[in-house]
Amino acid sequence: MASSSSTPTTERRGIPGAQFVEDVQSYLSQSGLDVNSALAFLQERLQQYKLVEMKLLAQQRDLQAKIPDIEKCLDVVATLQAKKGTGEELFADFEVSEGIYSRARIEDSDSVCLWLGANVMLEYSCEEASLLLQKNLENATASLEVLVADLQFLRDQVTITQVTIARVYNWDVHQRRIRHAAAASTAIDS
Amino acid sequence: MQQQQQGGGGSEMVVTWDDQQNINKFGRLNNRFHELEEEIKIAKETNDNLEDASNELILTDEEVVRFQIGEIFAHVPKEEVEDRIERMKQTTSKNLEQLEEEKESVLSQMAELKKILYGKFKDSINLEED
Repeated sequence: MASSSSTPTTERRGIPGAQFVEDVQSYLSQSGLDVNSALAFLQERLQQYKLVEMKLLAQQRDLQAKIPDIEKCLDVVATLQAKKGTGEELFADFEVSEGIYSRARIEDSDSVCLWLGANVMLEYSCEEASLLLQKNLENATASLEVLVADLQFLRDQVTITQVTIARVYNWDVHQRRIRHAAAASTAIDS
Repeated sequence: MQQQQQGGGGSEMVVTWDDQQNINKFGRLNNRFHELEEEIKIAKETNDNLEDASNELILTDEEVVRFQIGEIFAHVPKEEVEDRIERMKQTTSKNLEQLEEEKESVLSQMAELKKILYGKFKDSINLEED
């Protein structure tokens, strides 16, 4: 778990940090907002955070799907490389169309073709292919780590904002009670 | 995902930065807990599948097995398939163990934080699943 920071961070990669409120009274007077405006502002912030969270979660799902794909490709390349020395052919059953399979006879080969996306496929030697796939795997894993950290930061800001909303609301209720009690006692006195 | 709510019947609730960090940490741990439950479920399924596969292997009398590598089914001799499945089973078991350990650690950290937070906020905070 990330260690607690001594002061709140102002922002992270474009995500604004939620300001921690030490004291509701001074927060309201400093910002010059009345309670309803403050609550509206905080709610809007919360909505913005939720939107960013949706986006990041979608990116996370994509990366989490991509990583096993790259690992499968590495597996296949490794299998081909292993077969290379023996001079044996590799028989493989593959899917031609849904539910229809065909048999392929893969002879000893020095190269493989890699699908790079955007309708582009390039031929590589087995070693180069292995290196490229390995690098892609490392990049994807590193990106995922950064993304997870972003999500953690974001969720912290959401929690801070939710707590602040509750505190401002409760402060307001508390203030109303005090005013009501004061007005009631003045009415009795006069 | 709002699992904690601050109730509070209009009382003045003092929340320090430390309290906020504890609440944040609890939230993060809770998220991690759910992720771990999912991952453990998947790891257990994989383990079961591998177990079934190795049982099938024992029963079959074919010399060559179609073993899935990536998107294709390669023709692989039975012994090699047995070895591969053994290795995969070991990796998955170790992974499962690590996940269970992490889950235990997360649960105990959450219990600690619950004690601290309920201690300070009592009824003003709700840390249970809804």
